[in-house]
Amino acid sequence: MLTEVKNQIKVVFLSIKYSVMRELLNRFTFISNVIFMMLNNASMIIQWLVLFSLRENMGGYTFKEVLLLWGIASSTFGFSRFFFYKAFSLSSIINEGKLDSYIVQPKNILISIITSDISVSALGDLLYGYIMLVFYGLSIKSFLLFTYFIITGGIIIAAISVILNSLSFWFGNTDVIAETGNHLMTNFATYPDGIFKGIAKALLFTLIPVGISNYIPVHVIVNFDLNLFLINTTVCIFLIYFAFITFYTGLKRYSSSNLMSSKI
Amino acid sequence: MKKYLFIFKSEIMTNLQYVFNIFVGFIGYFVMLFILFNLWEYLYSDPNELINGYSMTSMMWYVVITEILYSVVGGRTLCKKISNDVKSGNVAYNINKPYSYIGYSVSSHFGNMFIKFIMYVILGLGFGLIFIKKLPNLSLVGIIFVLVSSFLGLLISTLLILSIGLFSFYIEDSGPFYWVYSKLILVMGTLFPIEYFPTIVQKILVYTPVYVVNYGPAKLFVDFDIHKGIGIILAQIIYVIIAYLICNHIYRKGVRRINVNGG
Repeated sequence: MLTEVKNQIKVVFLSIKYSVMRELLNRFTFISNVIFMMLNNASMIIQWLVLFSLRENMGGYTFKEVLLLWGIASSTFGFSRFFFYKAFSLSSIINEGKLDSYIVQPKNILISIITSDISVSALGDLLYGYIMLVFYGLSIKSFLLFTYFIITGGIIIAAISVILNSLSFWFGNTDVIAETGNHLMTNFATYPDGIFKGIAKALLFTLIPVGISNYIPVHVIVNFDLNLFLINTTVCIFLIYFAFITFYTGLKRYSSSNLMSSKI
Repeated sequence: MKKYLFIFKSEIMTNLQYVFNIFVGFIGYFVMLFILFNLWEYLYSDPNELINGYSMTSMMWYVVITEILYSVVGGRTLCKKISNDVKSGNVAYNINKPYSYIGYSVSSHFGNMFIKFIMYVILGLGFGLIFIKKLPNLSLVGIIFVLVSSFLGLLISTLLILSIGLFSFYIEDSGPFYWVYSKLILVMGTLFPIEYFPTIVQKILVYTPVYVVNYGPAKLFVDFDIHKGIGIILAQIIYVIIAYLICNHIYRKGVRRINVNGG
């Protein structure tokens, strides 16, 4: 069992390594994608400078804490798109009947699919988060917690995408639903939870779990709380389990499109 | 002109087949407005308070309009399409056709935006009336000015994004340039009016696309003034000419670099 897990992890890293090497064939595009994505994210600091000129506190967040929130949002987004990029286009792979080449491989099908490609610009998002962490205040504790939370947050985002994209096994083309779900997660992620009230706030900690993947990490890094830490971890494990169950239940309904394709 | 009108009409007919997709796209617009409404409700402790000359109502209507213009353009898709046309060599097919590539792209994109614009305006106004309740005072002349200004704003936006997409003649991926452009339009003119920035920055912003793409039409909607209206439309006409010249220059220079291999 342990050897199997070890082998799977090795395959994942090899797959990502080869994807990076492929992208590095055009170094200029690779570097410009990363740098411009960081600049793109940095432009949003202007928004918060303007808002903080109106008020000293935004929904219970100081300026530094908003930067940390942005860091978490950016890095979780980057982590999910860098390591599990194909989780976000799973619906089209299912609909076009392109799963065959993954099914014949002697490895976990879902993991093989979602790690089969990377988004280069996501690397910019991932790194930008760490720059924000430096602005917030870098320490061993904050670095370790930040890294842990971007892993759990990235997995949460990818798992939700797998669940929504897997609906294609039952309902055909559901990429619009999956895309909307992903947009919801991204849009709410960069605004402090303190500005939302009532049902909206409740939704952010349940149906659209941005609260779990982004707000809880900020609260824990600012002021460590074991309960919140455990909630984040438990939800992450639950969503991984639920993503696998949904995908493999749906896979039984899959039919090939008789399309010849190769994976090199 | 007739041929471009035909392209425009064909694109509208194609888009009518995908009305459901436009509706789903509206969810993103709705969510963004919902977040911004919460933000402004939080910032305005008293609804009658004025921040930089804007009441809570006018601030919310401002973002309703700017978000319509920002969402309708669909810049990411346009930039990607132009970039792919250049990279795949599709642009070569247009060289021997009796229309200009820029004219074709603009009319095709306007056909793409037409249904979206009508739907977003209806849904945006409906959303605004439910949540904000009160419409700004706007005369018939004001409505005409807002519509003309919105059209010019969308035209400038389309030409500028086209220019960015055409950069693919020189670099492989022009997408990153578009990210920065779109974020600047979003932060400087969509989320806030330019009055929210320090005076020195405001003076610079008046000369940037931010002023003519989003700020102009939205400002006329929330606080119409005939002199300001004429000023904004004149600035937009100048910008249309400049943006067209830039776009045309990049295309003419770039298209010489095409190598066509038979096959």
